[in-house]
Amino acid sequence: MEEGRAERRRRTEALSHPQGGTRRAGVMTDVHRRFLQLLMTHGVLEEWDVRRLQKHCYRVHDRTGAVEELEDFINNINSVLESLYIEIKKGATEDDGRPVYALVNLATTSVSKMASDFAENELDLFRKALELIIDSDTGFASSTNILNLVDQLKGKKMRKKEAEQVLQKFVQNKWLIEKEGEFTLHSRAILEMEQYIRETYPDAVKICNICHSLLIQGQSCETCGIRMHLPCVAKYFQPSLEPRCPHCNDYWPHEIPEVFDPEKEREAGPSKVSKRSLRSRQH
Amino acid sequence: MSEQSKDVCDPNSAAEASNSEVHSSPGVPGGLSPPASQAATLAGPESPPLGPTDVPLASPPPEAPSEEGDPKALQQAAEEGRAHQALSTAQPGPAPPAPAQLVQKAHELMWYVLVKDQKRMIIWFPDMVKDVIGSYKKWCRSILRRTSLILARVFGLHLRLTSLHTMEFSLVKALEPEELDRVALSNRMPMTGLLLMILSLIYVKGRGARESAVWNVLRILGLRPWKKHSTFGDVRKLITEEFVQQNYLKYQRVPHVEPPEYEFFWGSRASREITKMQIMEFLARVFKKDPQAWPSRYREALEEARALREADPTAHCPRSSVSED
Repeated sequence: MEEGRAERRRRTEALSHPQGGTRRAGVMTDVHRRFLQLLMTHGVLEEWDVRRLQKHCYRVHDRTGAVEELEDFINNINSVLESLYIEIKKGATEDDGRPVYALVNLATTSVSKMASDFAENELDLFRKALELIIDSDTGFASSTNILNLVDQLKGKKMRKKEAEQVLQKFVQNKWLIEKEGEFTLHSRAILEMEQYIRETYPDAVKICNICHSLLIQGQSCETCGIRMHLPCVAKYFQPSLEPRCPHCNDYWPHEIPEVFDPEKEREAGPSKVSKRSLRSRQH
Repeated sequence: MSEQSKDVCDPNSAAEASNSEVHSSPGVPGGLSPPASQAATLAGPESPPLGPTDVPLASPPPEAPSEEGDPKALQQAAEEGRAHQALSTAQPGPAPPAPAQLVQKAHELMWYVLVKDQKRMIIWFPDMVKDVIGSYKKWCRSILRRTSLILARVFGLHLRLTSLHTMEFSLVKALEPEELDRVALSNRMPMTGLLLMILSLIYVKGRGARESAVWNVLRILGLRPWKKHSTFGDVRKLITEEFVQQNYLKYQRVPHVEPPEYEFFWGSRASREITKMQIMEFLARVFKKDPQAWPSRYREALEEARALREADPTAHCPRSSVSED
C-alpha cells in the first residue's frame, strides 16, 4: 500500500522529484498547458510553427518571463508527461529534413489512434498500403498496387473508386503523402507509429544507419545495402568532398542533398513554404 | 440506456466526479462533503476545484488539506473502488484491480479524450465505457476523476459533461484569459476562417443561409463547389458533410421549393462553442468595420454575453476549439 502511494505521488505531482538525476524535474505552468493544448489541437507541427506557438503562450500567460530555449522547454514538459506515457516527439520530414513535432502516445502499439476515425475496411486499406510502403524499395507504393488489394479487405466490401477517396482522406488527415500517383507515409504517421511498425514488421522494416530510426524513404549503398535518410545523408556528408559509405567505404553513388536551413526557408517567404507543404495535395 | 443508470457507473455521478466547478464556486456552500473540499485544495491555485459533490460510497475520514492532498484524493479514489467491493461482498464479483491498473486506465482514457477532441468528434460516454473502460466499469467514477485531474493539471482542460441527455462530454479550456488563439497560427489553418465565414453569414441574415448565398461569399475566398482546393480539398464535401457531422452546421432542404435547394443553419456544437460576440469580432476583423455596424446583431451579442456571465459567473467562456484551428 505504501509503495502504491509513493508511486502515485511520484506520478501525479507536477513537481516531480528527480529520478536518478536523469532529467530535471519539470514545472507545469499555464504557459506549458496552453502550449500542450494547442499542440494537441494541431496534431503535428513544423518547428517554426512550434516556436511561434511557444512565443504566443508566453505572451498570453507570462509576458515578463524569458522565453525558454525550445529544447529545454519541451524537455521540461516531457519530464511531466513521462509518467503518463506520452511525449512530445521530434522527428523530421524524410524528403527535406524539416523538423516536426507531435504529441504521441508511447503506450499504444497499434493503429489505434486512427481507429476512431475510420471504418474497419478503411483501416485495413491503410494497413495494406503501409505493408506495401514498407516492403517497397523506394518507400512508395503505387496507387494501382494499393487499389488492387481492395478485394482482400476486411469488413464491408469496398469498390476501387471508394478506395481512391479513402486514400485521399488519409492524405488530408496527414497519414499519407501523395506524389505523382504514389503514396508514402507522412512524417506524422512515422512519428506516431514508429513503435507499432517496428514491432509489427520486424523483418521488413528499414533502419537508417546514421540516426537508427525507422526509414521509409532514403538512399542506399549499392555495395553493402545500408540505408540513410536524405537529411541524414546531407548532414553526414556535408563536410566531405568525396562521400564514402560509412559501412563499407565504397564511393557513395547518389547526389548529396542540402542540409535543411530554416533561415533560408524564411527568406524565401511563406508562400514558398505553403506551396511545399501543399505540394502533396495537388491533383 | 436504462442499464446505464442501474450501473454504478452512470454518467451523471461520473460527471460530478469529474467536475464540480459548476456547483462549487469560490463561496463553497457549507453542505459540501469533506472529500470535495480536500479535492478543492489539491487542485491548487491554478485551476478551479475538482472533485465529487456527493460521494455515496464510504470515504476515508476527512484530513486537513495539505500540499499532499493530491495523492490522498487518488488514494481515496482507489479506496472507494475497494470500498465498493466491500459493500458487495455477497456476490463474488471480479477481483478489484491493482491501483496501477486503474492509473493506466485513467491514462488511456485521457489519451482517448484528447484524440477525440483533436478530431472534433463527440466524446460520448457509452463509447468511453466500451472503448476504454471496458471491464473496469465499476471503477469508472474513480477512473474518470483521475483522468480529469490529470487533464486539469497537465493540459489545463476540464472534462465536462455538457449534456446528460445525450451523455456527451467535452473538453473545455480552464485557462485564463480566454481569447482567440488563432492569433498564434492564423494563417496556417484557414479551416476556422471558412467555418466562421459561414456561421457569421447565417448569423447576420438572422435565419438560414441558402447554399447559393454561401457560395457567393466563398467565391470571395476563391472557393468554388466544383473546384478542389489545395488546402481544403473538396470544399463542398467539407461544408455539407464534415462540418455537419461535427455538428458545427446543419444542412437542410428548403421546404416547398422546386428544384430542390438547401440551406445552412448553426449546428448545436457551434451554438455551444462559439459566442455571438466572437462572430461580431470576426466580422469586424474581416470587414474592417466596428462591430456596431450591425446594430441589432451587436445588441444580441451583448445580451448573450450578459446572460452567459449571469448564468455562471465563475465559469470560463466556452472553449472555442474552432478558433485554434
